[in-house]
Amino acid sequence: MIATALCLGFLSLAALMSPAVPPEQTPAPSDFALGKALPQEISGWQKSRDDQVFNREDIFDYLDGAGELYLAFDFQFVFVREYARAEAPAIVVEIYQMSSSADAYGIFTQDSDGQEVRVGQEALYGAGLLRFWKDDVFIRIMADRETPEARNVIMKLGATIDAAISGAGPKPGLLGRLPVEGLEPPTVRFFHTVISLNSFYFMSNANILNLSPETQVAMARYDKDSARGTLILVEYPSEEKAYSACGRFIEMYLLQRFAPGKKFPPVELENKKYAGAVRAGRFLAIAVEADDKATAEDLLKRALANL
Amino acid sequence: MRKRKMHNAVTRRDFIKGAALGTLAIALSGRERDLVAGTGAEPAVRPFAAQNPQSVVVLVRSEKAVGVDDKIDAAAVQDLIDTAVKELAGEADIVKAWAKFVRPEDTVGVKFTRCSWMRVHTEQPVIDAIVKRVGEAGVAGGKIIAQDEGLPVAKCTALINVPTVKVHTLTGIAVALKNYINFSSKPSSYHAPSTNLGEIYLKPEVKGKTRLIIVDVLRPYFGPGPQINPLHRWNYGGIMVGTDPVAIDTTCLKLCQVKRRLFKGEDWPISPPADNITAADKTFNLGTSDPAKIKLVKLGWDKDVLI
Repeated sequence: MIATALCLGFLSLAALMSPAVPPEQTPAPSDFALGKALPQEISGWQKSRDDQVFNREDIFDYLDGAGELYLAFDFQFVFVREYARAEAPAIVVEIYQMSSSADAYGIFTQDSDGQEVRVGQEALYGAGLLRFWKDDVFIRIMADRETPEARNVIMKLGATIDAAISGAGPKPGLLGRLPVEGLEPPTVRFFHTVISLNSFYFMSNANILNLSPETQVAMARYDKDSARGTLILVEYPSEEKAYSACGRFIEMYLLQRFAPGKKFPPVELENKKYAGAVRAGRFLAIAVEADDKATAEDLLKRALANL
Repeated sequence: MRKRKMHNAVTRRDFIKGAALGTLAIALSGRERDLVAGTGAEPAVRPFAAQNPQSVVVLVRSEKAVGVDDKIDAAAVQDLIDTAVKELAGEADIVKAWAKFVRPEDTVGVKFTRCSWMRVHTEQPVIDAIVKRVGEAGVAGGKIIAQDEGLPVAKCTALINVPTVKVHTLTGIAVALKNYINFSSKPSSYHAPSTNLGEIYLKPEVKGKTRLIIVDVLRPYFGPGPQINPLHRWNYGGIMVGTDPVAIDTTCLKLCQVKRRLFKGEDWPISPPADNITAADKTFNLGTSDPAKIKLVKLGWDKDVLI
């Protein structure tokens, strides 16, 4: 059983390794426009080493052990600038160039903890880390430890990058299909692959939903009338793929025998929570962790109305 | 869809169902009590309080170990390690205690972790304290190799595993099992799923060499990652010692799960679950993942010990 699950895992990892852009299009650090916008010195912090750029091929040289999570998005390259000042915490600026604003937003939603601040299109700050996205760029600026001065510098650097990005980018269109009532905004996630799904909500070692870089997934938790549930909305490139994934979920997760045209009401799982699924065209809506059957049914019904 | 396929996937439902998969259920719910409580026919067994333990884990804490600006107090760390090793060895004398784990003729690899981007390093005072005591046990300086990447494990006759504690988006948690991942030539093959992580302990150049595990629990990381958010790190001021990597990881998993629930004020499951821990027990026989078979000895500062 484990061996099979591993094979499925390797397949999904392999699918992530195809580069979004040819590596020769990765800019040299000195040619990256947003990098040029950064100061050499700010409030006593000096650029402390040569800038670096890592692309899809060498991301593991920088994020050894976590590159997979960026490869799961349409990540193109990351620019890294480091600042140092005597007797003060080092500050690192990371600018992730994605191929779309949807994926810049998606990376941003990987972590929702922090205080909202006004930088870029959405930003969170906490304990010396600023994270924000704007257009097709995701930015992290972090101090080794937080001090008032370091925080000021971080916010200034954030504002500098923000100003250097001329336009705003749209959020993923799929978010517009999430039902609004009861939605808990900090829980909204956007991603593509099973690695991301399992980092938010572990479903299976196997890729039951047949997620791939081509699939769009929006996920959010709902609390309506004190009844909670989580909705996973998947957009597939074709109706056939959505149909197949629906069947796999019904059989492999809900443990029901799938039959075309048959309706599958939500079922109670071992943890006393309810799960169910409904498909419409290229879309698959899945309710999990619903407090009761009515909540799962309501989530699916409202999702279906938006598909 | 063929029925057999249903059995290929290891799903969340499998974890919820199986008491045999107790460690995973801890990650998913944080409620190990459900897994080891008596069914009525036999008395309840408190987790981490085994009377006849399969494995003993020693945790020693000091409020002095981590000071202002997160500065590590080397003397306090030395004291923590000495106390923990003496307790585990059942010796009042520190040299006699270390003599139970290393011999003068050994070549000792001190495998710490220094992941530059993640920043949850083994603190240098921890490494220094261990190297000092290994030397005092009679091992010549040239035969003590303290290293992370590139440690010549084949040359070593003994290993001391010195990981930190961090929740990890690809393996669930990274402690003793994960710290050996760079003994593999292809570390990313042990990510997502990470079920086979334990097999590294059985590689010919590694098998049987681990004499001691000393975990730096001074400033663990409980957040989702993939990159550190300082909001998800806390000063715990602990050193954990044992010889069973599975029991160590099980204990640290519990610690992080409790901390996550405290941080969010509700269950915040570690995702994906650390299935490598259960597999290290059930598949690779490296130790026990059953909290009811582990005795956790707690010494020193007990404020907010959490486990």
